[in-house]
Amino acid sequence: MRCPLETRENREILVAYSSRALNGGDAQRLEAHLQSCSACREFVRGQRVVWEALEDWEAPTATADFDCRLYARMEREGSWWQRMRGRMGVLLVYRALPVAAVAALLVVGVLLERPLAPRVPAPQLTTAHVELQPDQVVHELDEMEVLDQFNHMMKPDTSTPRM
Amino acid sequence: MAERVNTYMGGATAALDYDAELMLRVKDGDGESFAQLLEKYRSPVVHFLYRMVQQQAVAEELAQEVFLRVYRSRGTYEPTAKFTTWLFRIATHLALNALRDGRNERSQERLDERTEDMPSLQVEDRRPSVEQSMVRQARLDEVRRAVAELPGKQRAAVLMHKYREMEYTQIAKVLSCSESAVKSLLFRAYETLRARLAHMA
Repeated sequence: MRCPLETRENREILVAYSSRALNGGDAQRLEAHLQSCSACREFVRGQRVVWEALEDWEAPTATADFDCRLYARMEREGSWWQRMRGRMGVLLVYRALPVAAVAALLVVGVLLERPLAPRVPAPQLTTAHVELQPDQVVHELDEMEVLDQFNHMMKPDTSTPRM
Repeated sequence: MAERVNTYMGGATAALDYDAELMLRVKDGDGESFAQLLEKYRSPVVHFLYRMVQQQAVAEELAQEVFLRVYRSRGTYEPTAKFTTWLFRIATHLALNALRDGRNERSQERLDERTEDMPSLQVEDRRPSVEQSMVRQARLDEVRRAVAELPGKQRAAVLMHKYREMEYTQIAKVLSCSESAVKSLLFRAYETLRARLAHMA
């Protein structure tokens, strides 16, 4: 048998043997190995000390009112849950239904309202035209005539040949 | 009911898990079955938690929470594993959380005190003399300290292995890790304990 401590294989059999939980062929093979391996012998010896020390460590029993306290907590939790469910039920009946009704009315109102809603005309890409009054037109034409005369005064007659 | 458990778990092992049958009855609203489970596992759970957190009041509070969670989960319970695996998974989870949150932060200080948390003092017939009693108490304190100094998962693994005699596979399921990881955890934990306690021989 290969040494469990050296090879780090099957080290659990040392723990099992120390706690007297190893039987049969495995126990016999380990015992044969222990005769020639002081490290494993030392491990088993120390492990048995640990095992016995742990044996002596008693834990206290639960206090006498453990069950009573537990059932009281379960009862409180149960009644709390029932109260919550009851309240939720009341909410559903007395509050959720009216809320749902109002919501339904709103939805219906929106649906009915949509066809009647004023349509916003789409912006048209037409040129903007300005309505002019007749006197404005006359005024504008007069100004154009003045400008034309001014142009003639400033420019020499192009029909006359240059010297 | 047994058929239901067989359907869920399959095989002969499942049929033997009477606790799962009881839990399925609890699921069906049978309070008496819950009382049976409580009677059967009250002490193991309290003992396990006590050795984990080393304070009786905290251990009892956590144990109450374990059974409350069992009861709360009855509606969704499915016997996909042994009942004890599920039960100790809840207990371990709560204990590790409590250790992480420092709910038993005074436990180390209290190791030096003689308090009601130490049941060994109540065992009168094992104290033939005051001196022997003191020696025994000192040894127990050393054991408690050594266990308390183990990392949480190692501690849980040792306690389930030593006091519940759980198989590696079950411990692995409780701790949600592989079987080889459990073997490694246990070996390291026992080596640490051996280094601390071997002189007691």
